[in-house]
Amino acid sequence: MPRFHRALAVAGATLGACLAAAPGPAEEPVTFLGGRVVLGGEASGTIAPQDEGWFNYSDYETSTLRLFRLDLAAEARLLPFASVLLDVRSDNLDAPRVYALYLRLRPWAGREIDLQAGLVPPVFGAFPRRRYASENPLPSLPLAYQYLTSLREDAVPSRAEELVAQRGRGWRVQYPVGSPEPGPGLALVHGERWDAGLELRLGREPLSLAVAVTQGTLSYPLVRDDNGGKQVSARFAWTPSPSLVVGISGASGEFLSGEVTKVLPESARGTFRQEALGLDLQWSAGYWIARGEAVWSRWTLPALDATRIVDPLDALGAYAEVRRKLRPGLYVAGRVEGLAFSEIPSAAGRATWDAPVTRVEVGAGWTPIRHVLLKASWQHNWRDGGRIRENDLVAGQVVLWY
Amino acid sequence: MSDPRFARVELSKGRSGRRRPLSVYPLLVLPLLPLVTASSPAQEPRPPGGTIRGRVEVRREPGGGEARPAVADLGHHAPRDVPERRRSVVYLETAPQAAFAAPRPGRAVLDQRNETFVPYVLAVTVGSTVDFPNSDRVYHNVFSLSKVKRFDLGRYPRGRSRSVRFDQPGVVRVFCEIHSHMSAFVLVFAHRYFATTDAEGRYRIDGVPPGAYTLAVWNDGEVRDRKEVRVAGDGIEQDFVVE
Repeated sequence: MPRFHRALAVAGATLGACLAAAPGPAEEPVTFLGGRVVLGGEASGTIAPQDEGWFNYSDYETSTLRLFRLDLAAEARLLPFASVLLDVRSDNLDAPRVYALYLRLRPWAGREIDLQAGLVPPVFGAFPRRRYASENPLPSLPLAYQYLTSLREDAVPSRAEELVAQRGRGWRVQYPVGSPEPGPGLALVHGERWDAGLELRLGREPLSLAVAVTQGTLSYPLVRDDNGGKQVSARFAWTPSPSLVVGISGASGEFLSGEVTKVLPESARGTFRQEALGLDLQWSAGYWIARGEAVWSRWTLPALDATRIVDPLDALGAYAEVRRKLRPGLYVAGRVEGLAFSEIPSAAGRATWDAPVTRVEVGAGWTPIRHVLLKASWQHNWRDGGRIRENDLVAGQVVLWY
Repeated sequence: MSDPRFARVELSKGRSGRRRPLSVYPLLVLPLLPLVTASSPAQEPRPPGGTIRGRVEVRREPGGGEARPAVADLGHHAPRDVPERRRSVVYLETAPQAAFAAPRPGRAVLDQRNETFVPYVLAVTVGSTVDFPNSDRVYHNVFSLSKVKRFDLGRYPRGRSRSVRFDQPGVVRVFCEIHSHMSAFVLVFAHRYFATTDAEGRYRIDGVPPGAYTLAVWNDGEVRDRKEVRVAGDGIEQDFVVE
């Protein structure tokens, strides 16, 4: 029995048992030691037909639309000004992995200054901090946070033609320099993993600034540094009224791993960075929430053989999302988004370095009882490259949270 | 219920939010006293009949309404108030049939303040309207998926209020969609023989006609105790201990 189907069976049984266990799951998180330790969690099962175009894969083996995820979160409030936070996940019944583990400190009481150190939530953008299935109105992830481009952090093309040849094949790419194994490409921002480091938040509302220094980069977060370079990222948020939140983000960090840089010829050595800018907006009132985000990312690759990749590689991902509640417990939602890439010269002429993608998704969510959310959606994908250039996917998701 | 003079009201035990509704006879409602926690019947001219008074001592340690672990936040959360979970509602499970007769719906307020519903428990009579003002700087989104009353008031800012009319008896669990730690109860009665305890746990139900009744105490989502009482003349005193 394939692992996904086994996971699906377990998911169905788990969720069915929870639903059947009337009168219902706990209304509040589990606490220990007089409320000093609080547990929360989420179980979600998402099912969709095989995504032959790999539009929804977040790595070579995992489609975000064919995923059973168990998530356990804990907060230990050690002192009024210090907490330890932990988030452990298991996907498709794989061994659990630590998604977040960090210390949260407020060094000065009464001042809006917070420090977090460890495997911390990203400061860049808005979506990664609401990636939990219960907070995402649709089953899928925005392309900018999930779609695998044809770039890798541990292998690089030596010529422009090798890069262009991989357009639309980001789920499994192979290049001659660096790791010889084929592997998945990078998303603009990795929505499924957090980075390790130190972050500082100043202020809360209406103005706040968060700055982080971390080991990896937006597209390849790390626990242990693999290239000796750090990433600096920041987000400035402005909340002029409860209905509107505007965020501006930026990040810069070395993204190529030491596995690649150590094999580069002397003439091609240098600093190879991912730089990114982001703009996020959220407006809400009454029964409406509208969100939009744009992420621009630039990667610099080493210039190697003839038809060198001299110019940096740019990508722009943007989405607009709307949710409208129709009645208690029932909503409809939609998201329109696109990914665009800069052009590079190659022997075959100028071409975008990866194939542009457009996605439209509409869906609905229903909460029959408070801790259960059922979602269904239809999505259509277009891509200007790759073996499969267009597909339709219908997805269903069950989310149980506490 | 064999005695036609009485109707039975039942707040079944069970887990919060999924309780069976108050099973009352489908009768008209009696006047409600104005605002609930503060709606002690003593504030109105005392109706004829006896008084049941006493104190509810809550010994159990109520939960603090802890928020889920905010792992994705970039810092500490703003301080918030702790809901008053020691407040209880004492009511007659069996009430005189006549108590259901003369409807006078009331109006009550369930405020949203420092990310807490105030009061935590509100008891009203059927037909009453409850206002949900937002007194916080942030948005709130009050909703309930209770069978007795499903509603969703949407997001609205500080200074705005929206209302819900409760036209069926039962227990309504109220939440905020944005702040999952916020919750409250609205207990909707088909008669007026109930009272919410004050800060010291005291309660008082006036105007109870002489007779034998089942007196129940509800605290933090469950019926915690029941006592058989007999009211004669001026009334009686009945205390409860909630362990």
